[in-house]
Amino acid sequence: MSSEEHSHPTPGQYWKIAAFLAVVTAIEVAMFYIDRQLELGFLNAAVLLALSAIKFIVVVGWFMHVRYEKPLINRFFAGGFVLACALYLVVLTALGVVAIRGG
Amino acid sequence: MSDLAHDVGVDAHHEEHESTGIENRKLGMWVFLSSEFLFFGALITNYLLYSNRGGFEGTYPAEIYDIPFTSVSSFVLLMSSLTMVLAHNALSRNDQNGARTWLFATAALGSVFLGGQVFEFYEFITVYEMTLSTNPAASAFYVLTGFHGTHVALGVIMLLSLWGISRRQGGLSERHGLNLELVGLYWHFVDIIWIVIFTVVYLLSVPPV
Repeated sequence: MSSEEHSHPTPGQYWKIAAFLAVVTAIEVAMFYIDRQLELGFLNAAVLLALSAIKFIVVVGWFMHVRYEKPLINRFFAGGFVLACALYLVVLTALGVVAIRGG
Repeated sequence: MSDLAHDVGVDAHHEEHESTGIENRKLGMWVFLSSEFLFFGALITNYLLYSNRGGFEGTYPAEIYDIPFTSVSSFVLLMSSLTMVLAHNALSRNDQNGARTWLFATAALGSVFLGGQVFEFYEFITVYEMTLSTNPAASAFYVLTGFHGTHVALGVIMLLSLWGISRRQGGLSERHGLNLELVGLYWHFVDIIWIVIFTVVYLLSVPPV
């Protein structure tokens, strides 16, 4: 076992992380219904995307152990993710989807 | 083979397969997952392009989403990531029974998620008459969630295969231990893609006005 593996979370910590993810999911669903009542618009989208990003980072960092892996793996994974986000943001912007949804 | 020759052989083998310091199969899995971002990115972009573009007949997906139902499905898939990481953790402690139990639990939760998706598709098609060819938004929805479901189904098959190997051999060897790690990475990836789909496709979608 490498020294990196020693710092992996314990089963108890994994349960706590999962509970945190469940709470964030519950907040997301609550936001959906709050938005139906209050029509928060952009604020709702921003909060939901932020919550989704938090869940994404927690799963990738702790469950996929990216924060304990070698930098090469981080670069491959982050590279693919950033490339995909950049590429499709350009596509959506060029086709007017970002402007329509943002407005 | 002498000890020395054996050592040289092991070193050569080691160097050949781990020149990056990372097991090649593991690095391959990370590269594959990285490329999958582009695959699912294309499908999500396609959905965003058509989800609220008016002018087409028929029901739009955003008009008929059952958010409470999909929330439960999302929760189930999220918890399957917990059971997956617990399986990996159990194996790293050489707790073969624990690893087997959590592997089966992960496959079971994945199957529940798939069952939910089949039910959702069935309801959309039979009750709301929204099929793959109803309109571009429906097509984009079915292609995106269908491909994700296919990934989950493949994951379930891989999990059950590992579970079966573990049962038959009384535990997972070091080689199969790496397989469990690779399947775990794949499974978590499927989960993070659903995290994005749940927010972007289900919670943020609005039907055309």
